[in-house]
Amino acid sequence: MASWVGDSIFDNQFELTIEVPFPSQREVSIALQSLSPDHEPRTGGTIKSLSASANALSVKWNAVKARSLRVSVSSFLDHLALVMETMDTFGQPDLQ
Amino acid sequence: MTVVIGFEGSANKIGIGIIRDGEVLSNPRRTYITPPGQGFLPRETAKHHRAVILTVLREALDEAGLKPADIDCVAYTKGPGMGAPLLTVALVARTVAQLWGKPLVGVNHCIGHIEMGRLITGANNPTVLYVSGGNTQVIAYSERRYRIFGETIDIAVGNCLDRFARVIKISNDPSPGYNIEQLAKKGKQYIELPYTVKGMDVSFSGILSYIEEMANKMLSSGQCTAEDLCFSLQETLFSMLVEITERAMAHCGSQEVLIVGGVGCNLRLQEMMGIMCEERGAHLFATDERFCIDNGAMIAQAGWEMFRMGQVTELSDSWITQRYRTDEVEVTWRD
Repeated sequence: MASWVGDSIFDNQFELTIEVPFPSQREVSIALQSLSPDHEPRTGGTIKSLSASANALSVKWNAVKARSLRVSVSSFLDHLALVMETMDTFGQPDLQ
Repeated sequence: MTVVIGFEGSANKIGIGIIRDGEVLSNPRRTYITPPGQGFLPRETAKHHRAVILTVLREALDEAGLKPADIDCVAYTKGPGMGAPLLTVALVARTVAQLWGKPLVGVNHCIGHIEMGRLITGANNPTVLYVSGGNTQVIAYSERRYRIFGETIDIAVGNCLDRFARVIKISNDPSPGYNIEQLAKKGKQYIELPYTVKGMDVSFSGILSYIEEMANKMLSSGQCTAEDLCFSLQETLFSMLVEITERAMAHCGSQEVLIVGGVGCNLRLQEMMGIMCEERGAHLFATDERFCIDNGAMIAQAGWEMFRMGQVTELSDSWITQRYRTDEVEVTWRD
């Protein structure tokens, strides 16, 4: 999935896209809105964009350095796991 | 009735509290405690919060005997604090707000301390000394802002105490400050330390460097004991804090002092402040560790005030911020 595009090793650009399936539009929307508000640190040179389809969240990264891409992806997956666990634990209709 | 749940996790404590019109229904908390000689770092602290937050949330609801449907608003700490722990807590707050269909309110952590202190003590319009591991400020309310009259120009007083504890390997359990306080009671000798009040502001980094430099030398040569150092450090730091608080009171014509923040539960600080207040005919308000130290109820309380004034934070604006000054917040709920 990761592709390397660029003219020289001094101008490399990494791009990565992942798709996260969810049971319904509701969960996709909640995950999107929980994970979107915070921006990447400006210094890293990494751009992350989130979008939603009917039953999947898709995340796309553009990064200058593989290292900062790894850091961003890794923390995103941690955050995603926390949001999903929160939905599992506190999103059941019987709690309402 | 308005019920607000508050999420706090800006430093090494994770707390979730529920408030119903000034009544604390539940306020569970966990603390990330590091080994002696070590401080807490953002990554590890966030990992700690991540591991326990859903358990703490369950406890908060169960202790309050409430279902999510009974809650009117979800408050969380927007800042200031450490980025990674703040974000961990904000993620859960945003998610449950959406799951339960409740509005979200982003709270300034310092405002949370002030409003909780006012609620618990009943202080009406106090001069506030806010002292913790990350903040040291003397604050008074005027014209819809909590205005900062004096503050530290470098590290927080609690940070100075915590880092001193690391130098001489005092335990971080339950907190370095508490253990310093206990040792200080047995101090017999006052070691003179730099005293650095600069106008209305204070500086602690020079005192820390000084004591870091001399502590182990003096201890190994038997010139003084760890107890003497704890005593001397507390006396020096707290005198500085009392001095700037008194000056702020004189300036504002205030007859009330409220101490908030984690260092605020230190009884020696309360005692010294009490002596100053007595001399001025003023009244001292302080709380115990349940409400002084970071907790969820304080965020719920400030959130309650904001929510009652119609303030909510849209999800798209719910980003967390490591820097967020007390005087940036417009205080809409006070005259």
